[in-house]
Amino acid sequence: MLLLPTNYYLAGGAVAVALTFAVLAVGSLTVLDRFADVRIRLFAVPDKLLLAGSFICLAFLAALVVIGFIGSRDPLSNPLPLMVWTVVWVGLTLLQGIAGDLWRWINPWYAPARLLSRLLGRGTGDRMPAWLGYWPAIVQFFAFAWFELVYPAPDDPARLAVAVSVYFTVNLVAAVAFGYEAWMQRGECLSVFLRMISRLAILDSKDDGEGRRCLALCLPGAKLVGAKPLPLSGTLFLLLALSTVSFDGLMRTFFWFGLFGINPLEFTGRSSVIGISTFGLIAMFVLLAAAFLLAVWLGERLTRAPAGFGRAAGTLVWSIIPISMAYHFSHYLVVLVINGQYALSALSDPLMNGLDLFGTAGMHVQAGLLMGAQSAWLVWNLQSAAIIGGHVLAVLVAHVIAARLYGSARDAASSQLPLAALMAGYTVFGLWLLSSPTAG
Amino acid sequence: MMTDIVHSSSILTSSISRRSALKGLGAAAALGTTPGFVRYAQAQSSAPIKIGFQAHRTGIGAAYGRWYERTTAAAVKAINEAGGINGRPIEIVIEDDGTDAARGAEVVEKFANQHKVDLIYGTLFSHVVVGSSPAAGELKIPYYVVSEGYHVASGKMNRWVVQPGITDVRQQCRSVAPWIMNNVGKKVTMIYPDYAFGHDHRDFFAPAVEEQGGQVVAKIAIPPTETSFTRYFPQIPSDIDVIYHVMVGPAVLTFVKELGEFYGGSGPKLFGFIDSLEAVDINSPGLEFLEGSHFWEGSPRYLQANASEHEKAYRAAVGLDDNGASVNDPKDVSTAAHMFGCWETLYIIKQAMEAADYKGPEDRAKLIEATEAITDIPEGAEHPQGAKVFNGKLHQVFGTQNISVVENGRLNVVHRTSIEDGLYEPEADYTTQPL
Repeated sequence: MLLLPTNYYLAGGAVAVALTFAVLAVGSLTVLDRFADVRIRLFAVPDKLLLAGSFICLAFLAALVVIGFIGSRDPLSNPLPLMVWTVVWVGLTLLQGIAGDLWRWINPWYAPARLLSRLLGRGTGDRMPAWLGYWPAIVQFFAFAWFELVYPAPDDPARLAVAVSVYFTVNLVAAVAFGYEAWMQRGECLSVFLRMISRLAILDSKDDGEGRRCLALCLPGAKLVGAKPLPLSGTLFLLLALSTVSFDGLMRTFFWFGLFGINPLEFTGRSSVIGISTFGLIAMFVLLAAAFLLAVWLGERLTRAPAGFGRAAGTLVWSIIPISMAYHFSHYLVVLVINGQYALSALSDPLMNGLDLFGTAGMHVQAGLLMGAQSAWLVWNLQSAAIIGGHVLAVLVAHVIAARLYGSARDAASSQLPLAALMAGYTVFGLWLLSSPTAG
Repeated sequence: MMTDIVHSSSILTSSISRRSALKGLGAAAALGTTPGFVRYAQAQSSAPIKIGFQAHRTGIGAAYGRWYERTTAAAVKAINEAGGINGRPIEIVIEDDGTDAARGAEVVEKFANQHKVDLIYGTLFSHVVVGSSPAAGELKIPYYVVSEGYHVASGKMNRWVVQPGITDVRQQCRSVAPWIMNNVGKKVTMIYPDYAFGHDHRDFFAPAVEEQGGQVVAKIAIPPTETSFTRYFPQIPSDIDVIYHVMVGPAVLTFVKELGEFYGGSGPKLFGFIDSLEAVDINSPGLEFLEGSHFWEGSPRYLQANASEHEKAYRAAVGLDDNGASVNDPKDVSTAAHMFGCWETLYIIKQAMEAADYKGPEDRAKLIEATEAITDIPEGAEHPQGAKVFNGKLHQVFGTQNISVVENGRLNVVHRTSIEDGLYEPEADYTTQPL
């Protein structure tokens, strides 16, 4: 990777994002605006499937947790860590971003929350106090990210099984107490995140009022344009999600190790950097949030008819989603390709007792897929394409949002100057992270 | 060509997969659960020997960990198929240490108290060995490391820590010095990363060179986070014969490329340690400059024309092709220079357990004593890398090293050092410590 001419990509990425902005600034927005509203109707899916999907997923999750406790201690043989960190956190997130809100149909809290609500004679309506906003999701997402990135052993099957059990129970209780829909929208961080990411997807769905969801095709990112403004806490949640994935990249770079005088070649493990990593996780979030809010605030100053800082931030933040998705893809591509194979193998023989459910138990993990100069070139180009493409889409989305927000192309352009600059900068940062020497 | 690969992988996957190795185990263990009186007697004699494998599954050691695991699975399979140890099969319990020193100690404790394994084995990275050893000593559980570091022989570990399957860096440096002096030249510049790993080479190689009548003219220490090296090269004196380089990390390819560009085809000869390029294809772009240069290898990566039957059998069991890559995946280059140590260590464990008539954890002290009693280790199926001598007081094995030249994008062995080449004055005697 270090031998590739990565600096050209860094410069090219920034130029591409800046050019996109320049074209938008002088061009007409009505076409884009109209494109965003295009829907091609597909078919309807009965809501009854929610219950079945949830039950199946819940049973699967319960089995995984049990295997986490009694199965192999090896995190690459036990299916629990592979399912949680690779298949769900990496794979499902990407799938949500492409295909839409699949999670809604398999959400393991849905069935038990409905059952418990009925048993306790409570409705499923929204009982979550408005002042809570998205704060429960922020707190939980921070805990999730800390466990993933800072805690020394997030892959340990037994510890992960405990974490999953606790997390599931806490959120089930909260879903029953505050109402399932409300809690999944603002409290349980995985559902909140996955639902937000699904707004990038090319599938849209609407309730037809007769117990069915009508599916329709749309352009990627089109659903972001029409999204309701998020409150400040919701805005911060999205920024937190992006900042943690960025920090995941940063914390492995030689640059980061160098800042703290740690030798990356003999890095003695996560246990020795818990304080530093916790600091980094928070600092990254604070910096990104400050930069974004500052860009929006400046943008407001540059227009003739400001929309109000809160409303501008809450709608424009949706344009972060394509970037978030791009980071997710680029940073976890390698994990997905390698650990995805381990997952296939582990799922086929979950208890390591010779079972071969899917004929993949004995498969050889092809680590060579990502080795050698050709692979390095391919991986780097896929990653760069995603990062640059994600930022270009973000600029497009932000522009349409701004046009609707400020009502004129001219105001949209001037208001977007700071945000577009931030996005160009973040493109360079993203590419730099991926091209830097790393350890761990 | 594709069909060849697919064909060979379909045969060999099953023979090397850990899952299939453990499948056999499940069957053996199941014998012990037959109902009735027989069960007890049988369980006594055929209950598996549990070996805790402290593996780098995550963290900076993960790439090495994969091959250590693969070699371990192959050795366990071979041992179990040949009747196990004292008639009992080996069961491997893997715990991930995250290549983390503090977790290493935790894992040792978990092995001893929770999994109740007979012994712990397999650690590679030095900082994990150093972090875990005190716990092994306190819990009085044998700890067989495959780490190459000098920490065991330095006397800083304890009586429960042994390294019987791989040589240490000090003897490696000493072993190659005479050959370099006699065949490449006597005036040396060393380029090494400026931390413990590089300092070991500096401290062990330089005196060995002087003993041979040579001279280390310059020692260039490079900061570990450096990613561009051209500005260090003017520090290399012009009248030297050899550059001895041991750079490691993601910037190695850049280092070699820039060094090659600096000299543009002329310049001093190069001698390196394959640690720099372990698991890296020698034919990667930028490495063309290595053609004609020499490397230390513990065990040869490429199958040599004169390879012994034992070595061929070992390579087939682990699943290595002639280029030292996975038979399932020609781009997956192995850590051949080091991972043989896993195979050989497991056979030492077998030998010591049989000598001690090992029955269970109550015999752990006897196991250490039986290991210490081992001296000559002949070359054979159990020790395919070559003959060795174990120093029971020092808890360190001594062996031969390979010096290879890069020719047409292959590493060909040009010299095998003798065991005596690497001997040094021992600094420790662990047998004086109580068990």
